[in-house]
Amino acid sequence: MSETQIQVKDVSMVYTNNAGEKINALDSVSLDIKEGEFISLLGPSGCGKTTLLRIIADLLQPTDGEIIIDGQSPRDIRIKQEYGIVFQQPVLYDWRTVRRNICLPMEIMGVPKKERTSRIDEKLDLVGLKDFGKKYPFELSGGMQQRVGIARALALNPKYLLMDEPFSALDEFTREKLNEDLLEIWGKTKSTVIFVTHNIPESVFLSDRVIVLTPHPGKLAAVVDIDLPRPRRNELRDSPEFFEYVAKIRKCFQEVKM
Amino acid sequence: MMNKVKNILWPLLFGIAFLALWQMGYVHKVLDLKPFQLPVPLEIVQTLHANLPKAIKDCGVTLSGAFIGMMIGSAIGFMIAVIATIFPKWGYGGLIIITAFNAMPIVALSPIMNLYFSTGMAQKIGVVTIVCMAAMAMNAYSGLNTLKPYSMDLMHSVAAERWVIFKKLRLPNCMPNVFTAFKINVAASIIAAIISEYFATSTAGLGFGIKDNLRKAEMAMGWSYIVVASLAGVLIYIVILLLERNVIKWHASQR
Repeated sequence: MSETQIQVKDVSMVYTNNAGEKINALDSVSLDIKEGEFISLLGPSGCGKTTLLRIIADLLQPTDGEIIIDGQSPRDIRIKQEYGIVFQQPVLYDWRTVRRNICLPMEIMGVPKKERTSRIDEKLDLVGLKDFGKKYPFELSGGMQQRVGIARALALNPKYLLMDEPFSALDEFTREKLNEDLLEIWGKTKSTVIFVTHNIPESVFLSDRVIVLTPHPGKLAAVVDIDLPRPRRNELRDSPEFFEYVAKIRKCFQEVKM
Repeated sequence: MMNKVKNILWPLLFGIAFLALWQMGYVHKVLDLKPFQLPVPLEIVQTLHANLPKAIKDCGVTLSGAFIGMMIGSAIGFMIAVIATIFPKWGYGGLIIITAFNAMPIVALSPIMNLYFSTGMAQKIGVVTIVCMAAMAMNAYSGLNTLKPYSMDLMHSVAAERWVIFKKLRLPNCMPNVFTAFKINVAASIIAAIISEYFATSTAGLGFGIKDNLRKAEMAMGWSYIVVASLAGVLIYIVILLLERNVIKWHASQR
């Protein structure tokens, strides 16, 4: 739990937009993430949090800087299929049933058939969609679809779980319930989790550390350690300590001109 | 259920009313035609009944040519779409050339095919093949390449190889477009086959039958061939619809 596992070294990302202007999405961000840690990348839209996640996932190449994960490049980790990613959208394939959607990455990774079936059963149960395995995506609500996307990533038992605002499209009740569920699942797997969000209470509730990013250009503004005891339950949200952390982080944003 | 009945009932009633008006001579009045120019429905049906075996045989000749040509043309069109997907740089240019092919009139195409093929059947298949390529190429290309956001990222995140991406993402994603192309091609292939028979050396097929009978002023016989051609077109279209309903029941168009 103390070893540095992911090193983000001076990572910058400059886009050129259609008008030919250069946009600084990330400006020399450095960060160390420990093994088994749950960290949140928190910030308003335009702060480069999703960009940073995509760079770590090797879905995007930074214009400057590098990322080292267990002494390897993100590409090595991707080829070794050690990432599980939950996207902003469910990204379900319309022609596959819920079960077969969860199955898809496992098929590609060559997980044996028996193992696939048992993992699908387990994760479907976990996200509360036990009776929906045979349904097609269009038969599900948006929240249910997103839960399938989460089950699909979890079924890989990934060493690195990357989540890009997975709950942002859900209502507050579902979000809080899934926050709690996610912690419970994470407690069992001990993956390293990088969680992108723009919701301050969510980041406090989930994380060991909250990385505060501010926009234009995307910069690391603060790193806040969350020393709240685990396991955490939703009652924690009503405690004074919880409010203190939320207030402290909110202040980080007020101090920086945005 | 009620809506379903209504959906069938209204067009059916309209069709029957139209046939009745035609039979009673009102259509002729409105369009200023004489019965020897446009025969009435009953006369067409009687003629068709009397010549049914010959009509069915001719219909078979035309349809088999149309069907084989449509399958070959669609297959070539699909291959072009696949190649354009694998090699995007030249592929796109290739697609534009295919659209140019599509603009070629069948009337011009048929005599050229006559030079290449000695039998009427081969000539017909050649014409239909060319006519059917473009719709499939354009539609399939769009289906292979218009992917939902992040669906490619999902593949990359587990390091899927190109072939796997093709098989598990692009191919199923393009099925609705493939069916759209088939539906376009059913109508196009029958028309192309019939028109190509106008110019063919053979003396069989619906196209030849229509041309020959209209030339001999056997209007009822000519029209009975037209009826058979339309029925055949509708029938094949229904087969494609049923197939579509089974293969892409997950698609928005099937809900």
